[in-house]
Amino acid sequence: MKKYKADIIVTLRNGVRDPQGSAVDTVLKRTGVEKEAEVQTGKFFSLSVTGEDETSAKSKLNIICEEVLSNPVLETYKIERFSEV
Amino acid sequence: MKSGIKAGIVVFPGTNCDIDTQRACEYFGWETEFIWHDEKNLDKYDVIFLPGGFSYGDYIRAGRLAKFSPAVIALKDYVTAKRGFVVGICNGFQVLCETKLLPGILSTNTNTKFICEEVELSANHSEFPKTVKFAIAHGEGRYIADEEVLEEIITKDMIFLRYKDNPNGSALDIAGLYDKENKIFGMMPHPERGVFAETGNTDGRYFFQMLEKKIIESCTCNCAAMPCCQGEDC
Repeated sequence: MKKYKADIIVTLRNGVRDPQGSAVDTVLKRTGVEKEAEVQTGKFFSLSVTGEDETSAKSKLNIICEEVLSNPVLETYKIERFSEV
Repeated sequence: MKSGIKAGIVVFPGTNCDIDTQRACEYFGWETEFIWHDEKNLDKYDVIFLPGGFSYGDYIRAGRLAKFSPAVIALKDYVTAKRGFVVGICNGFQVLCETKLLPGILSTNTNTKFICEEVELSANHSEFPKTVKFAIAHGEGRYIADEEVLEEIITKDMIFLRYKDNPNGSALDIAGLYDKENKIFGMMPHPERGVFAETGNTDGRYFFQMLEKKIIESCTCNCAAMPCCQGEDC
C-alpha cells in the first residue's frame, strides 16, 4: 500500500454567482491596485490517501471530493500536486 | 390539549435551535425527545425535526457534514418507509438539500451578510393566510437549483413559502419547499420563533397547526392513537 498526497481546490461552478468574490473584487478596485481582478473564491484542502497504485488513490480522491468536499450542484473541484509521499 | 403526537428533534454538534423547537412543539401538547446524531432508528416518531444552528460548525459547507450522521442516514429510511413527516428549519433545510432529500442547494446570501430579521412571506398552503411573517437568521440562504430542477419544483407545486422582498437572492424567491410525496418540509425561516406571544409574533403557530392536522390525517392504523402505532397495537 502506497501513500499519496494531493491538494484539492473547490470553486463555484461557472455561472453560479460568487458574492464573496464580488466583494473582494470591489475592495481591490477601491485600493486602486487592480481594476479588473475578477476574483473567484474557493476552498483549499490538502490531504493524503493510501492506495495500491496511482489509479486507485485518484479514484479514492474523486469519491472524497464528490461526496464530502464539494457539492456538484454548486461546485467543481480540481486535484493538484498529486504525488507519492 | 394533548395530541399524543411524538416529535423527535435531531441534535448535531453545533445545533442551537433545538430547545426553541422543543418548546414550540410542547406548546401544542406534543411529546418531544431529543435525538443525538448517532441514533440509528427513528421509527417511533410521528415527525422528525432538523432544527437550526451550525451542525458540525458548518465546516466545508452548511449542512455538508451532517449528511454522514447515523441519524440522517436513518432519516432516509424513515422517508422511504413514509413513516412520518420531516421538517428541516434553516440549517435543517440545508442538511435536507445536502442529503438530496430535497432538491437544490443553499449558498451564500447575495449581499454576503448574515441576515437576521422578520420577513414577509407568501404562503402557498390552504392552512395558511396568504401572507405570514417569520424570522430569518442565516448567512447561507440563497436557494439555487438548475433550470430543470426549478421547473420540476413548479410542476410538482413544491414552493410553500416565498419571500415577498427576496433578501438573499434565492431563485424564484424560494424560502420553503414542501415535498408532498415524501412528506418533507424544508424552510429557511423559523416558525418555532413565532409561537409565543412574548416574541411579538405568533405566525409560526400556523405551521405547527397545519403540521398537527397533517400528522393526524396521515395516521392510517385502526386505533388512531398518537403516536401512530403503525398497525402494531390494533
